[in-house]
Amino acid sequence: MAQDKAAAILAALGGGDNVVEIEPCITRLRCEVEDGSKVDEAALKNAGAHGVMVQGSVVQVVVGPEADTLAEDIEDLR
Amino acid sequence: MSVEVGSPVAGLATALTEVPDPVFSQAMVGPGVAVKPSGGRADAVAPIAGTVATLHPHAFVVASPSGTAVLVHLGIDTVKLKGEGFELHVAKGDQVEAGQRVVTWDPSEVESHGYASICPVIALETAPEALADLREDGQVVAGDVLFSVGA
Repeated sequence: MAQDKAAAILAALGGGDNVVEIEPCITRLRCEVEDGSKVDEAALKNAGAHGVMVQGSVVQVVVGPEADTLAEDIEDLR
Repeated sequence: MSVEVGSPVAGLATALTEVPDPVFSQAMVGPGVAVKPSGGRADAVAPIAGTVATLHPHAFVVASPSGTAVLVHLGIDTVKLKGEGFELHVAKGDQVEAGQRVVTWDPSEVESHGYASICPVIALETAPEALADLREDGQVVAGDVLFSVGA
């Protein structure tokens, strides 16, 4: 279940090749991506994100307190 | 049964909408109250009794046995300080009492690095209606009740 969510978030971020770095903060994933235009905000929300903020190549995905475990799951998938 | 949530720091209680971060000001992860700390190096204390569910130098979550989880975030974007200036006194998984010191930090030092030192105190994944007695203005000391969360 958690793996599915991690996979869905990674896909919505444009896939593993588009992700430069993911850093979990306490309520959100701070992601640096190669190409911000590949980020699908609607898909991120469908994957369970409470909110998405995109500033250039930095995408913040608000996932709540499970950010730590989600970030680990995403790293495992990359 | 409701849980009273105490202020982690001394300062000026204020509405969450004053926090310069949309995640908190729009209550994306839950409702709550923010406190603008007054003064320099001080302890941030547990807002409720429970288990330390998540612990970062700049933020932590305490979960009560009844399931209420309260997030304390010490300043905004302070993850970028990478723990510098934050001294932890507990470990993840520890049991803490309300008012027990969790982190020692310095709000004025945080501001000297260009970050806001305001501290959102959030009832995670809680409906706004579950909160009562919100204190959204006035000076508080650490441990003063900021709001209560209904079960």
